[in-house]
Amino acid sequence: MARFWCAVLILACLELSTRVGTAPICSYGQAGCHTPSLADIFDRVIQQSSRMHGISSDLHSEFEQYFFPSKNLIGKPKCHTHGIVTPADKENAQRLGREQLTEVILRLLGAWGDPLLQLYRSMSQDQNQDFNHYSSNKALEISDMVHELRDGVAKMAEKMKLSGVLGNTVGYISPEGLVPSSSFSFYKHGELNSMDHHDLLYCFRRDSNKIKNYLQILKCTTLPGLDC
Amino acid sequence: MSLPFLRTHCGTVGARMWRDLGLAVLVLLSAAVESNSTSPPGKPVLLSCRSPEKETFTCWWEPGSDGGLPTTYRLYYERERLEGVHECPDYWSAGSNSCFFNKTHTLIWVDYYLTVVASNALGNATSDIFKMDVMEIMKPNVPENVTLLVVETEDSPYLHIRWEHPRNTDTESGWVTIKYELRIKQEKNNKWKEYMSGTQSHFSLYSIAPGGVYTVQVRCKLDHGSWSEWTNSTNVKVPNYVQNERSFWILVATLSAIPFMAAMCILIVKRENVKQCVLPPVPGPKIRGVDFHLLMSGQSEDSTNALIINQNFPLIVGWKDQMEEYLIVTENDIGPPSDASHCQKRKKSLIIPAGFCSDWEIQCKSTHIQNDCAGGTKNETGNFPKNNKSLSGESLSYMEPSKLQKQQCLGQNFVNTEATDPSPLNYDNAVKPFTNSGYVDIRKHVENTQEVNVKQVDYSRVEDVNGDNVFILNNKNLAFNSSGYMDFQRQEEKLSEDYSRVKEVGSNNVVVLQIQDMSADTKNPHATGAHKMGVCTELINSEYIDTIPAPPLM
Repeated sequence: MARFWCAVLILACLELSTRVGTAPICSYGQAGCHTPSLADIFDRVIQQSSRMHGISSDLHSEFEQYFFPSKNLIGKPKCHTHGIVTPADKENAQRLGREQLTEVILRLLGAWGDPLLQLYRSMSQDQNQDFNHYSSNKALEISDMVHELRDGVAKMAEKMKLSGVLGNTVGYISPEGLVPSSSFSFYKHGELNSMDHHDLLYCFRRDSNKIKNYLQILKCTTLPGLDC
Repeated sequence: MSLPFLRTHCGTVGARMWRDLGLAVLVLLSAAVESNSTSPPGKPVLLSCRSPEKETFTCWWEPGSDGGLPTTYRLYYERERLEGVHECPDYWSAGSNSCFFNKTHTLIWVDYYLTVVASNALGNATSDIFKMDVMEIMKPNVPENVTLLVVETEDSPYLHIRWEHPRNTDTESGWVTIKYELRIKQEKNNKWKEYMSGTQSHFSLYSIAPGGVYTVQVRCKLDHGSWSEWTNSTNVKVPNYVQNERSFWILVATLSAIPFMAAMCILIVKRENVKQCVLPPVPGPKIRGVDFHLLMSGQSEDSTNALIINQNFPLIVGWKDQMEEYLIVTENDIGPPSDASHCQKRKKSLIIPAGFCSDWEIQCKSTHIQNDCAGGTKNETGNFPKNNKSLSGESLSYMEPSKLQKQQCLGQNFVNTEATDPSPLNYDNAVKPFTNSGYVDIRKHVENTQEVNVKQVDYSRVEDVNGDNVFILNNKNLAFNSSGYMDFQRQEEKLSEDYSRVKEVGSNNVVVLQIQDMSADTKNPHATGAHKMGVCTELINSEYIDTIPAPPLM
């Protein structure tokens, strides 16, 4: 009995000490908080987007392997984000400027929240044995990441505005405003078949690469440093 | 005679001629055929495309057969978000059978659909459609200017490797992220060891072997693209430097380790001795003659018996003094017991308790004692007086064991195991009291009992003997144990204590003793009143007469 209480005491002490030791990261800049610097936020966001792209690449290649192994040409999938104008080469991207670049990033991220969720649901309900549990988990993961990333980039934009790096033309962009709802009907409501899955993954792979690249450009134009 | 010869000769010559002619015709024909066969070109195959820096890209194809005619190859492409079919802008910059797309013609994240058309005078051949996205075809050039440097510091030297990014890649704008990987090999080993360097263009390798030759190669990749080729090998030789100091300390450590190990071995081998030396055994408490385990095992009877029995009471010394203190209780009127001789002899003899008798195969347990000198022949051997002896008219206080003589058993001590009739009334019939006197031995217990809870047994001296009654008046040392037993010394045998309880004092001054087990005794309530000797009149019914087990025969 005494030993039990001893152990409880020790655990309580440890927990308290660990709490005291680390400085919590606060998003609202409260006093005493250790707020991450802009460079830190950039790094995190870029890492996250890189990971997201990696997972979507894996999913896409898995898909191609299973369903369309022999074909090189599958068709000309049209992505629902084609309405968002994105720079397709270096000069255009650099010419765009930070504000517009940020806006493009946020638009892209906003446009993918719902479709990815739909993709996950469809994949997890898929009776096809080729789609294993692992794949549908990946879909869930990227779906979550998109939401997190959008919040992260929004915070980053706020911080940039505060430090004067970013002009005020970037407003908060609501998801509905980004992508016209007509494009949601681009994909069938209800059940998506594997063609739709493939198209979605193909489009998202590309878009996540764009997001990552734009973020990197943004970082290197805002904070030129070692990593650029 | 020569005619046949001539004929054959002519024949062979003719055959040969025909053969040659045929050959010539064939050759001519084939030549003609060859010069005449032209065909449309074979189908070309698009091999691959590659972008070294994400700003331009190049595609290569392999031509099919050209069909014997000069064939031209054209590459056409369609692109997402671009209307129409376009032709390759640059066929020459990248070599033959290639198409180079410069910056203006390159867009990332858009699909290109390429085809190659081979055409000659006779026809065309079109390759399969090759779909690509620049994002997928990235493969950088090799890194440049790999330099190796051996940096010598105090502790240990290390290898510092530097390189530069491939010339045409723009890593500063963030458009591409470049990652490096290097591999290092020692001259003797044929195995490469690979290291990731991330985005840094330098690397340090520690713990290198002096005198070794190291070979290094570096490669890189862009974003999620493919790795480049390895650079050419760069070698460096690490100079042998003096390591005297370290080797000296190593030597010292080794030398001192040997005696240390030896000492440890000796200690371990002789650990028993060491343990004895360092931690000498602490003697535990011990009672002489008592088995501790027996005590712990909880057999109270045996253990208490052992406690008592194992005490070496200085029997002999003490006893001698008291040898004379016998009280023989007899019944005057009753005729001598059949063992009168026995009884007579007992003047100076000890009353041998029933315990003694047990030695001679008399079980000292019976329901009652009969004071029958003669009657107790049942179990007795020669020396034993009868078991059924009852005190005549007197009550015996206790018996005293005699170590020396155990021949006699006074009746009162003895238990007749085979009492004919355990009924207490029996005694009346069987009583044949002694003639003269009975000894009641009051032993003075010498204070030599050990610390064990030996019952302090003290004996009182009989002061006066009335004819009918025994009065024990001197109670100075009388101390009974709680149960009222007067405990006699026990010999070494494990004889159970036999106590005789005076069951009844009859009208004829007969004391009927009841000898029971000790266990039985303990259960019986003791009338404690009479234990404090002195009131002799109360030596009735509740006196315990301790039967002393027979001492061993000398």
